Amino acid sequence: MKKMNLGIFAIAIGALMSCGKTDTPQPTPTPSVSVIDSVEVPFATNSYLLYNFKNKTKVANSDSATSKWDIGIRFVSIILNSHSSGPGNAGVITQSGIYSSYLTAPETGYAYDTTAATPAINAGFTNGWYNYNDVTHAFSPKAGLFFVIRTADNHYVKLEITAVNYAGYTPPNPTPTTLIYKFRYSYQSDGRNF
Amino acid sequence: MPLRFIYIFFFLSPILSLAQEKKADSTLKILDEVVVSGTRTENKVSNLPLPIEVISYKNILQSGSQKLLDILQMQSGIVVASNPLGTALQGYPNPFGEGVQMQGLDPAYTLIMVDGEPLTGRNAGIINLGRIAVGNIEQIEILKGTATSLYGSDALAGVINVITKKPVKNSIGINTHYGTNNTLGVSGAGNFVGKKIALQLFVNRLSSDGYDLDKNIYGKTVDPFEDYSLNAKIVYPWNDKNKLTISGRYFSDNQHNNYLIFPDMVPQVVKGNTIETDKSIFAKWQHKMNNSVNYFTSLYTTAYTNNAAVFLEKNDSLYEKINLDQLLLRPEMQFNIGKDPASLLIAGAGYNFEKVNSTRYSSVKHLNSWYAYVQKQLHWRNRTNIIAGARFDKNSLYSAQISPKIAIAYKVTPDFILKGSVGAGFKAPDFRQQFLDFSNSLIGYTLLGARELGNGLINLKKNGQIDNSINIQPYLNGVILSPEKSIGTNLGFDYTFKNNTIFKINFFRNDISNLIETYNLPFNKTNNQSIYSYINLNKVFTEGSEITISHRFKKNFSISGSYQYLIAKDKEVLQKIKDKQLYKRDPVTGETSLVTKEEYKGLYNRSRNTAQIRLFYNNEALKGSAFITVKYRGKYGYNGLNGFQNGNDVLDDPREFVQGFVLANATISKSIGSLVEVQGGMENIFNYTNKLQMPYLYGRSIFININFKL
Repeated sequence: MKKMNLGIFAIAIGALMSCGKTDTPQPTPTPSVSVIDSVEVPFATNSYLLYNFKNKTKVANSDSATSKWDIGIRFVSIILNSHSSGPGNAGVITQSGIYSSYLTAPETGYAYDTTAATPAINAGFTNGWYNYNDVTHAFSPKAGLFFVIRTADNHYVKLEITAVNYAGYTPPNPTPTTLIYKFRYSYQSDGRNF
Repeated sequence: MPLRFIYIFFFLSPILSLAQEKKADSTLKILDEVVVSGTRTENKVSNLPLPIEVISYKNILQSGSQKLLDILQMQSGIVVASNPLGTALQGYPNPFGEGVQMQGLDPAYTLIMVDGEPLTGRNAGIINLGRIAVGNIEQIEILKGTATSLYGSDALAGVINVITKKPVKNSIGINTHYGTNNTLGVSGAGNFVGKKIALQLFVNRLSSDGYDLDKNIYGKTVDPFEDYSLNAKIVYPWNDKNKLTISGRYFSDNQHNNYLIFPDMVPQVVKGNTIETDKSIFAKWQHKMNNSVNYFTSLYTTAYTNNAAVFLEKNDSLYEKINLDQLLLRPEMQFNIGKDPASLLIAGAGYNFEKVNSTRYSSVKHLNSWYAYVQKQLHWRNRTNIIAGARFDKNSLYSAQISPKIAIAYKVTPDFILKGSVGAGFKAPDFRQQFLDFSNSLIGYTLLGARELGNGLINLKKNGQIDNSINIQPYLNGVILSPEKSIGTNLGFDYTFKNNTIFKINFFRNDISNLIETYNLPFNKTNNQSIYSYINLNKVFTEGSEITISHRFKKNFSISGSYQYLIAKDKEVLQKIKDKQLYKRDPVTGETSLVTKEEYKGLYNRSRNTAQIRLFYNNEALKGSAFITVKYRGKYGYNGLNGFQNGNDVLDDPREFVQGFVLANATISKSIGSLVEVQGGMENIFNYTNKLQMPYLYGRSIFININFKL
C-alpha cells in the first residue's frame, strides 16, 4: 500500500494575496487599520515566528524577551506576549461569529498563556482553532472563529486566520517544510472600536 | 410440520427439503431461500418480517469473481467504504482496506460472521473481507437493520453472515482462475459422505501482482499479495437425536509493502510484509430432546494476527514494526422450543473471553463479557408473523446493555406482505478506543485510549513530557466510554405479481447516539503537542429507502433491479445550523457566512442515490449462461476533495462531491461435457478509476475460469 506523505494534497486555494497592505486614514475618531498579510512558518525550528500588529512585520527572535512582538506562531501553536510567554501585556478572546460584523473589543475577559503547556489559544487537532483533515493533512482555520487581541502594548486587534497552506516541498520529496499563514486583522491604536 | 422441523436441525434429509422447495415453487415461482441469520434458526425468507437478502452459491459462481468485496459491492444498498465514521489520527489514507457501508453506516457497524460466528481483527473498524474464500460459500445472508437483539455488539446496520458449504454428497471439485494483474486463483474442494460421518476439505490459493494507478508516485497502489485458505469440516450425526459438527478455518495473507518514506527530508525506500492470519475452530453439538425441544452447545475460538514489518532498503535495518494479536473464545448454548419453525421460542447464553495485544498497547488486554438472549416467533392465523426478542450483554468495561427488538409481518393477501421492525443496537467501544497508547514520533502528539488515560498521563509526567505545574489528577481515573447506541426502524412491503415479479420496498431509519470521537485535553505536552483521548460525543441519523424489483421472464431469463435513496446527517451539525453557529468561509474571498440547512448535505462518503441492475440468461441447449451486473453509485461528499476547504469540516459545497460512476461486470459460462465448465469475464467494463478517492478500484480487467467437478 502506497502511503501518501504529509502535504501531498496541500493545494493552495484562493488568490495569493500575500503582503498586500491597505491603510485607510480618516479623521476623528481614529479608525482602525485593516491589514492583510501572510507569514511563512517553517516546521524545522523550535522558535516561534513573532509578529507585531502595529508595524505589520515579523520580529526577530533575538527580541523575544521584549514587548516588541504581539503573537508568535510555531507549527499550529499560537502564543501571546504576556505571562509565561513574554514580558508584554497581550491577551486574547477566542470569538465566534462573523469577523466583519464584529465592531468593538471588550475591556476585559482576555485570556493569556498561564503556562507553556496551557496556552490561551487552543491548538489541538480536535478542539483547536482549525480543523485537521487526516486524509489530506490540511489545517483549515475554522470558519466563524477569530481572535480579539489586546496587544503587548495595550492596543486592540481583531485577527482572522483565513488559510494555512503547505509550502516548500520539492518533488519527488512530498514532505513540506513550511506552513504559510494567511490572515487579516484590524488594528486600533486609539480605543476599542474597529 | 414435524418432519420439516427435523430437517432444521439435522441435515440428514436434504431430499425432504427439495420436495418442500418444489412444492413451494408451484405456488411461487420466485425462489424462497432458507436462511438462518434472521432468527438463529432456519426460516424461509418469506416468513421473516425482516429485510434479508441472499446471495446464493449459484450467483457467486455465475459472477466468476474471486473477491467477496467485489461480489458484495454489486449488491443492492451496499457501498464499498474506506472512511471510518469517527475521526482517526492515523495520518495516512487508509492502510486498513475497505469494508461495506449498509444503510449509510460505516463498515464498523456491520457484523461480519462465518457460519454464525463473528470474525475478529478489525483494523480501524474494518475487517478484511479477503479473509473469506469465495469458493467455499454456500450462501451469503445479508440482514439489514439492527440485529443486536440476537448478535450483540456491532450489528447496528445489520449482519453479513457467510454460510459455508456442508458435505452433502461425495464430490471433488477444482476451480482455477486467471486474470489481469497476474491474478491467479486455485481452489480444491472434496466432500466425502460416509454412512456415519461426512467430511469436507477446501483449500484455496489466491495471488496477484497488484497494480499501479499512479506511475509518478514510487511503488504500486496495491502491492502483490498471496493468500492461503484451508477449511475443514466434520459432520457426525451419530443417531437421530445427536449431531456433532466440527469445523476449522485457516487463512494467511502475505501482503508485500514497498514505498518511499522521507526521514529528514531524504527519500528512502522501505520494503517488507504485512502478514495477516486468521485461525478458528468451531465445535457444535446438537441434541434433540423430544419432538419440541432441542438445543446445541458450541465452542468457538478464533485467533487473529496482523504483523507488519518494513525495512530500510539501503541497509536492511528495521524501520517500523506493528503487531496485533487478538483471541476470542466463546462457549455458547441455545435452546429451541416448539414444533413449527415459524413459531419457535429460542433462548441462549454465552461467554466471550477476549485477549488482545498490540505494539500500540501498554500490555496484554483482557475483555470478558457474557450475554443471554431470548426470542419468540409467532405464526398467528396464517397471516401474521411476529418476532419479539431481547438480548442482555454484560461487560466489565461498561454498563449492561439490553437490546430488544420486535418485528411483524402481515399477509394482506398471499402476494402482499407488510413488514416492519424496530430494534435497539449497540457497538462496544473497540480495543483502540479503550487501550491505545500511541505517541506519534514525527509530530509528537499522544493518543490514549479512554481506559489508558490515567496510566498514560502518569508515564508522560514521569518522563518529563508533561510539565510539573499541570494537575493531571482529574484524569487519572480515565473515562468510562459508553457503547454507541442505535435505534433502527424498518418498514416496507413485498408484492408479488403474477407469480413471476416481486416488488420489495423498505424504508429505514437509524438513530445513533454516543458516537465515540477523539478530543484533546486542555493542556499540552512539553513539546507543545496535544494529548488526545476518546469520548462519547455525536449523534447521527441515516434514513432512506430501498426498492427491489425482480422479474423472471421465463425459466431461463431473469432480471432484477434495485435502488437506494439515502440521507445521513449529523444531528449536532443540524443543531448548530439551527442555533446559527455554523459558518463557512468562502475559499476565494475569505469572507465568512452562516451555513443554511439547505446547504448541509449530510455525512461525507454517502451517496444519496445508488442503483443496480442484474441480468441472467441461461441457455440449456447450448449449456451456457450469461450474467451481467451494473452498479451505479451516485455522487458523494469527500472532505478535502482537490484541496477544497471552507473551514467547517461539513459537507455543504458542490466542490466537495466526487462524481457518480458506474461499475459493470459481465461473465459468460459454458459447460463442456458434465465435468468441465469454462467461464470468461470482464470486470469494470467502463474502466472507471479514481486513484485518490477509490484506489481499490482497478480499471477494466478480464479473467478466465476453468472449473472441474466430479
